[in-house]
Amino acid sequence: MDRRHFLASAAGAIAAPALLRNARADEAPFRVKYFPVPDASRSRDVTPCSDGTTMWFNCQGNGKLGRLDPRDGSYRLTDLGPGSAPHGVIVGPDGAAWVTDGGQNAIVRVDNDHKVTVFKLPIKDYTNLNTGVFDKTGIYWFTGQSGYHGRLDPKSGDIAVFKSPGGHGSYGMTVTPQGDVWYASLAGSHIARVDLKTGNARMVEPVTPSQGARRVWSDSKGRIWVSEWNSGNVSMHDPASGSWRSWRLPGQRPRTYSVYVDDKDKVWLTDFGANAIVRFDPATEKFHAFPSDKPNANVRQMDGRPGQAWGGESGTNRLVMIETLQPPA
Amino acid sequence: MIAKAALAFLAVMLASSAAADDAALFTPCRACHSLDPSAKIMPGPNLAGLIGRKVAGDPAFDYSPVLQQARDEDRVWTLQALETFLADPEAMFPAMWMSAQGIRDVAERKALARFIANPVSR
Repeated sequence: MDRRHFLASAAGAIAAPALLRNARADEAPFRVKYFPVPDASRSRDVTPCSDGTTMWFNCQGNGKLGRLDPRDGSYRLTDLGPGSAPHGVIVGPDGAAWVTDGGQNAIVRVDNDHKVTVFKLPIKDYTNLNTGVFDKTGIYWFTGQSGYHGRLDPKSGDIAVFKSPGGHGSYGMTVTPQGDVWYASLAGSHIARVDLKTGNARMVEPVTPSQGARRVWSDSKGRIWVSEWNSGNVSMHDPASGSWRSWRLPGQRPRTYSVYVDDKDKVWLTDFGANAIVRFDPATEKFHAFPSDKPNANVRQMDGRPGQAWGGESGTNRLVMIETLQPPA
Repeated sequence: MIAKAALAFLAVMLASSAAADDAALFTPCRACHSLDPSAKIMPGPNLAGLIGRKVAGDPAFDYSPVLQQARDEDRVWTLQALETFLADPEAMFPAMWMSAQGIRDVAERKALARFIANPVSR
């Protein structure tokens, strides 16, 4: 069965129609669309496929990598291996999906024909793999929440694992346009820059103590945006000047889980306290909230392509896409 | 006499080894939780004194709605409840904020529950 055939048949057999609703009147330039993926379990991290149309998404609860076609809502699940519990997914320079698989203690590559290759970590310790990025030279870097970060050379398959300074907590990871690799430490409440030659990491402390830096994402200027789980803030570190700024998300009890910076340098956050995706415009310093239409959405990560911000609702087994229809006034 | 001492030593060593194994099972949990009542703020609630405590019973932690509801229903952590939770956390509390896989191995699950329940564990 070729891919086109599968998607055509899946559309009729599996997919429910995507739900469409408009955001509030003052957020008219945006359109929110939901894509149910009921055969996924705890759908979470997402990333655009290199085909320019479909979306990869991880199913942490049943060890699958999903691929959604937003044109008709159909999707396909690929089994990643025994004991798999995928967390992060990104697309590499080779066009394939690269998955941090905590359950297998392995990095898993899935190409666009859904062929699976498993790269087991060369250590016995349970690293609790979390997030990965590719640097400018094509080396894959990853974090493990048990206090590890590491690198994988896709050409040779060589893997090196390093103990992160400060112990447990290594979580989200990002690469800047300049090629620098940073990660956040949730338990360590810091961010760190990785020396790409030695693998050593240098910690940088945010201004808010015990803030719970969970995820990081670079903007086009190489500034590092940080989602702070404990404090409910979003913060921004400019490595060039060493400066920090931070903003508290709206609402009574914000819990800032994830951060994603789009191609226009707008900052997309997820707030578990408000059960919402929140867009922050650094130019105006204003927030726009997009509450889910279902309780306990629990969007744990976002990614996107120009004009589209995507997330996985791990609590509802849906993907959500917010389209920016025109630049906000 | 020597044989008795050797056996006693072996018993102590085995017990020590088992305790170390139980502690190792808690290692992944340390990314978010502490068993030290004086620990700093962590991403997840403090687990010191968990058994006998109300669900969502760490006053310093802001829990997800499903756990707040369990607290409002006066549900209490017992050793059995903890073992059930560790088998499949999402099945017990659907859509909670914590994201963790269940422990399939019964012996490991029981050992981890024992370790968390033990007041001297840190």
